[in-house]
Amino acid sequence: MRGLRKNVIIRLLSGIVFSLLLTFLQPWAADLIKEPPALPGEVSAADRREEKEVTLRVCNWEEYIDLGDWDEEETIDLDSGDVIGENSMLEDFEKWYYDTYGIRVHVEYSTFGTNEDLYNMITLGDTYDLVCPSEYMIMKLLTEDRLMPLTEEFFDSSDKNNYYINGVSPYIRSVFENNEIDGKPWSDYAAGYMWGITGIVYNPELVSEEAASSWKILSDPAYHRQITIKDNVRDSYFAAIGAIKSELLTDEQFVHAPDYQKRLEEEMNDTSKETISRVQDYLQDVKDNAYSFESDSGKADMVTGKVAANYQWSGDGVYTMDQADEDGFTLEFAVPRESTNIYFDGWVLMKDGIREDPAKQHAAEAFINFNSRADNVIRNMYYIGYTSVISGGDDRRIFEYANWCYGAEDGDKDVTDYDLGYFFAEDGDETKDYVITAPSDQVYRQLFAQYPSEEAIARSALMVCFDEEQNQAINQMWINVRCCNIHDIPAWVWMIAAVLIMSSVILVWKNYSIHRSGMR
Amino acid sequence: MQKKILSRKSLGIPYMIFLALFVMAPLFVLIYYAFTNGQGEITIQNLTGFFSDPNTLGTLCYSFGIAAVTTAVCLLLAYPVAYVLATSHLKEKSVILLLFIMPMWINFSLRITALKELLTWLEGNLAYHPFLNTVIGMTYDFLPFMILPIYTTISKLDGALLEAARDLGAGELQAFLKVTLPLSLPGIISGVSMVFLPAMTNYVVLDMLYNSTYIMGSLIGSYFASYNWHGGSMIALILLGIVCLFTLLTRGDEEETARGGVLL
Repeated sequence: MRGLRKNVIIRLLSGIVFSLLLTFLQPWAADLIKEPPALPGEVSAADRREEKEVTLRVCNWEEYIDLGDWDEEETIDLDSGDVIGENSMLEDFEKWYYDTYGIRVHVEYSTFGTNEDLYNMITLGDTYDLVCPSEYMIMKLLTEDRLMPLTEEFFDSSDKNNYYINGVSPYIRSVFENNEIDGKPWSDYAAGYMWGITGIVYNPELVSEEAASSWKILSDPAYHRQITIKDNVRDSYFAAIGAIKSELLTDEQFVHAPDYQKRLEEEMNDTSKETISRVQDYLQDVKDNAYSFESDSGKADMVTGKVAANYQWSGDGVYTMDQADEDGFTLEFAVPRESTNIYFDGWVLMKDGIREDPAKQHAAEAFINFNSRADNVIRNMYYIGYTSVISGGDDRRIFEYANWCYGAEDGDKDVTDYDLGYFFAEDGDETKDYVITAPSDQVYRQLFAQYPSEEAIARSALMVCFDEEQNQAINQMWINVRCCNIHDIPAWVWMIAAVLIMSSVILVWKNYSIHRSGMR
Repeated sequence: MQKKILSRKSLGIPYMIFLALFVMAPLFVLIYYAFTNGQGEITIQNLTGFFSDPNTLGTLCYSFGIAAVTTAVCLLLAYPVAYVLATSHLKEKSVILLLFIMPMWINFSLRITALKELLTWLEGNLAYHPFLNTVIGMTYDFLPFMILPIYTTISKLDGALLEAARDLGAGELQAFLKVTLPLSLPGIISGVSMVFLPAMTNYVVLDMLYNSTYIMGSLIGSYFASYNWHGGSMIALILLGIVCLFTLLTRGDEEETARGGVLL
């Protein structure tokens, strides 16, 4: 009998071990079966062997790429041709890559919900080749040496298939070249995808533009329980700094100082002890004053009229205003006068995914390029509502798209010229070529959220990637704000709890003794 | 004989593998993270940190409060319904029971969304009563888990015991208090544990009903969002400990009441 049991245990264990082995060795075994990667010069050699397939593991934000399947009537009819998303962008890419380079590629597409989720996923063992985090997460990954630099070929503007370098907005390019981390400019490692700023979406019938143009609205008792704020520590921190430093940030002298941009960024990224504790006090007020912290419901609540204003990323702001338009009422977008957080989501190549495999690297960079082609940019923008970093270069279709969306109709009388030269104009261009004549209210609405005015951009600040110590302090602050402190529990609650516990103990004990006496 | 045992036991192998891979292995990972720090050194600092931080303790109390109130409300609502249903002579009993269980077939977040609209219609602005709304949401969500076990125990009660009580001169109320209620205790206890434990951690209800105060579930989430897996794992482990303790306590009780029931 003993021997038998041992036997069973051995069988069991070997079963477990075997299946564990199978699970862990699968990717490795698959690598073995595959052929060795081709060298860069051998792309044409790989051409002949059609069975070879590159697998590209892409991880992007949820709902952040066109998945196709548009209705016929959704066709965007631009002067330079129609744009419509029939198939998903991923299928189209696979087809385009094969037609252009003669190599089969298979995109394994996954999504993530927050930058922190992505970080945890890739740190706990998921491997991807190409991911699309926000700028601060790119900086974090870069300082941890987990990114592959983009190749020189990617920046070769003579190759017409390099849609990214030929199409990226000069404004974005300068941001990516001038911001450095560890002495390396972002552009060496990251290619932009979408960008935007933060602001307040508000209902003009309930909230004035004046009030919505300050972060202080979040704690304004006039809007008690009527405003939602983002449920994440970085966005809340930025807004709180904007509110507590409001006077300094809007001071004429500060705004017109020659080193305004640099000082603004320093102020908005201030993590001194004193500031953190002031932010905590402020956010505690906000918690008592706001409708709630929300991670996803803000857009819907704005449209259903549950709240009067909400803290929003500009891309989501566009979506919210579009939804409200469909329901027949007007929402507007304001960028606080103190400062606004400018953010970029960008494609980066992961070292542990690409593993110096040139075929993979090529496919990954081609994926970026394909998504930077003007018609695909328009498809993605239409589908997700955010603003692409691509302005199109010589291809005017993206500007035409902006004009198609927001330009005035022939009959409109109340129109305003809205200058987007800062974003679209290349060196040689006249900036007046990029002026949209829009209905005047668009200056406070979708057009403003989709392509913020140069003036709003001027007061934008990047939020840097905090180091571990700063992160710890800020996260502790956040927990202090969000948790119920045990010292704040009122005495009457303790008393009720004590009475309840006492009485239940007495009850149980009494029952128990009855049973005992019954036994006797 | 030997062969038979072997084959019967080997039927359990798939489940054992499942258990090892998806229950035991993650648990070991959890324990590893809970007792190490960022540098990979073994430490109990996460444990002491939990019990010295007024925020984590406050969150524990808050979760406990929400769970306790939810459980009490569920019990008060569920017991009469289960009792009436189980003791009635209706023919369509199963249909009525079905009505109570049916909400469980609808997706949970869909139900809470509907509830959100309903409460907004009733209260106007949800943000004024976060605690109340949370309790309503959780009660709505967990009520069937309370009704079912109580219904089952009461409907299995031996009617002869009640008759005996009446014969010996007990009134309706007395018979209920001395016979039915003690005998339905096992149902109550399993109902309580099925409501209380999930109510302590179900932060989705709080999120969806605009309660901005953290409970245990959201606290763990916030630790993971700030890359502090060690602190988060420790909280998860402590929660697991509480669950185990609770289960042990109620199981002991169940045996006790079962024996007590026989003695009655």
